[in-house]
Amino acid sequence: MGPGRRRQRAGMFLVAPALLHASLWIGLPVIASVVLAFTKYDVLTPPQFVGFDNFRDMLDDAVFRKSIVNTVVYTFFTVPFGMALGLLMALALHTGLKARGIFRTAIFLPQVTATVAIALVWLWIYNPGNGLFNTLLSFVGIQGPAWLASTSWAMPSVILVGIWQGIGMKMLIYLAALQSLPKELYEAASVDGASKVRQFFSITLPLLKPATFFVLITSMINAFQSFDQIYILTDGGPANSTTMMTYEIYKSAFREFRVGYACAQSLVLFVLLMGFTLVNRRMMGGTRGHS
Amino acid sequence: MELKRRSLLAAIGAGTAAAALSGCGTGSSAAGSADGPAEGEITLLTPIYEGANGKTLLEKQILGGFRKKYPDVKVNVDYTTYTQLNEKITTGLAGGLLPDVLMMGVGWIPPFAAKKAIAPLPEKFATAHDYEKRVLEPSRYDGKLYALPVVLDTRIVVYRKDHFAEAGIKKTPANWAELRAIAKQLTKSGRIGFDPFSIELRQCWETFLFANGGQLFSEDGKKVLFTDSRGVEALQFFKDLSKDGSADYTKKTAAGAPSNVQTGKASMMMTTSALWEQCREQSPDLLKDDKLGCFVLANRRPAMLQGGTLVSQSARSKHPAAARALVEYLATPESILGAAKQRGSVPGLKDLNESGYVKENKFVDLSLRNMSAARSEGGTAAWMEIREKIKPTLEPAIVGGQSAKDAIAELGRLAEAAIGRM
Repeated sequence: MGPGRRRQRAGMFLVAPALLHASLWIGLPVIASVVLAFTKYDVLTPPQFVGFDNFRDMLDDAVFRKSIVNTVVYTFFTVPFGMALGLLMALALHTGLKARGIFRTAIFLPQVTATVAIALVWLWIYNPGNGLFNTLLSFVGIQGPAWLASTSWAMPSVILVGIWQGIGMKMLIYLAALQSLPKELYEAASVDGASKVRQFFSITLPLLKPATFFVLITSMINAFQSFDQIYILTDGGPANSTTMMTYEIYKSAFREFRVGYACAQSLVLFVLLMGFTLVNRRMMGGTRGHS
Repeated sequence: MELKRRSLLAAIGAGTAAAALSGCGTGSSAAGSADGPAEGEITLLTPIYEGANGKTLLEKQILGGFRKKYPDVKVNVDYTTYTQLNEKITTGLAGGLLPDVLMMGVGWIPPFAAKKAIAPLPEKFATAHDYEKRVLEPSRYDGKLYALPVVLDTRIVVYRKDHFAEAGIKKTPANWAELRAIAKQLTKSGRIGFDPFSIELRQCWETFLFANGGQLFSEDGKKVLFTDSRGVEALQFFKDLSKDGSADYTKKTAAGAPSNVQTGKASMMMTTSALWEQCREQSPDLLKDDKLGCFVLANRRPAMLQGGTLVSQSARSKHPAAARALVEYLATPESILGAAKQRGSVPGLKDLNESGYVKENKFVDLSLRNMSAARSEGGTAAWMEIREKIKPTLEPAIVGGQSAKDAIAELGRLAEAAIGRM
């Protein structure tokens, strides 16, 4: 056996545990859910093959269509705003700010706090009677709305929580990327007389392209998978104004006992996510910005 | 044979498909006989007995008594809430770990009995205690007894006697026209006359539907009946109240928070008998000063939604005799009285009508005196799916511009489709 063959075997041996784990806990469930998407399965009785019935039902399901729209709207607002705020905070913390360790911790804290705990705090903030927002508004003579019970305000309220909660991770990734940027480029730009603003747009932003692509994709996936805050804050209401795809999948599977239908809905979510990721990759030219 | 990548993937795919299509279907046969000796280790899944007090009541008192009677049975308790009960049952069924004894809500028996997830109980259980006639109806499916009631949660209207007296109103409304007029009269300076929305919209609309002479489904549970004018009128009534300004969907309170009637922000509200216990803890002065009254909603007929918690035996229990013994024990007057007291609920046994608890809690007393007006939700094997559709389908008519007729028609279509899939 040659050395190349031995190295190949050693490599296979080293990746085997991860491969086994991925096959068992990711691969098999994915295949099972694809299979179940074409069945009528209620957990109580064995699955029955129904062809494309679940997908046809989905076309007639106005609430699921609404949940797709809501998910896109939620993603459209939380991702770019969250990324912009995350980058701004990373830039601020990248400077020689005093007590920046405290600020970094404070900004990152929502990321590591259980969403349920966060949502409970926001439930109080949004409380129409004695919540923080309406109390503050009352000081300036404004009667605040019932934030989570109003079809006009519920989605913006949920989006605000989503942005606030996601900033920490985005900030951290940007901060790590900023710290790895080559200093000599900035020195050369300063010698050439480039202003700080010019340096930001001509050096920093292009060099952050791989980080931006990573943040964009992970943020989009997170936004598409938002569940906890909806579950606690609004239960998808009022009048389905905040229901999301993951919430509808959960309801179909665990509340309505339509597991086959939930698998079909999951498949649609998977295809949408895959599509968005490929489009983004194409638009941003992948991660070739900085090597 | 050489193992190729394609053949490996095909094998994984085929294996998974086979597992999904056959292995996921849970077994259906019970391992033992329900007539044998009660012994073994069993699990109880309960959405009630929440909190430290409930846990102590169940484990020390109720199960303490059970252990004395059945020393060879060990009971493990799986606590949950009604919100998460579905998930618990679904995952339990999928994983083949369905608890031996399950507590579930009114309306849940037909779906689980139809799929043979729960076992029929001997008819003698139905005559072991003195049940009100209506109380056992939600426990039956296809003529057979599948569960026993533990506690009932009725929906009644609670009102502020002081608000009524200030406005010179001497009697409670006998129909919706009077209810609307009184609600309008009592609405002033930030106070709403009637709060129907602080309970689950599904249950509130159902109470109005029943009071309007309507019903949800046909006797066999295969035909949708709520789409007629009575169902539409019930939903339209909420729209009319909201239009008058005497009801406001955005002013509903969360479960457990001081209700609008307690805080004086509403003069009447649809609620359960549990509000009495809540007032005892949060606003005892209202009870001491006798400021709260209650009545049964009426229009074409008086009606009170009868919800509650039932106890049933899993059809897949490996210790069916032990499970059945626990079901029987949890439905005895001693167990029921403790559970009812803890939750402020209505005990469904006539044996307890004269108990101190019933006489003290006026909302429970009213409920028991009006059990002939009680109506239950459910009645179809497709209920688990339909119950989830009611609130989100009716809500757009109340908070949006959708007409009551369109919302009810849409709900009817969804319900018919769900029944068609059974």
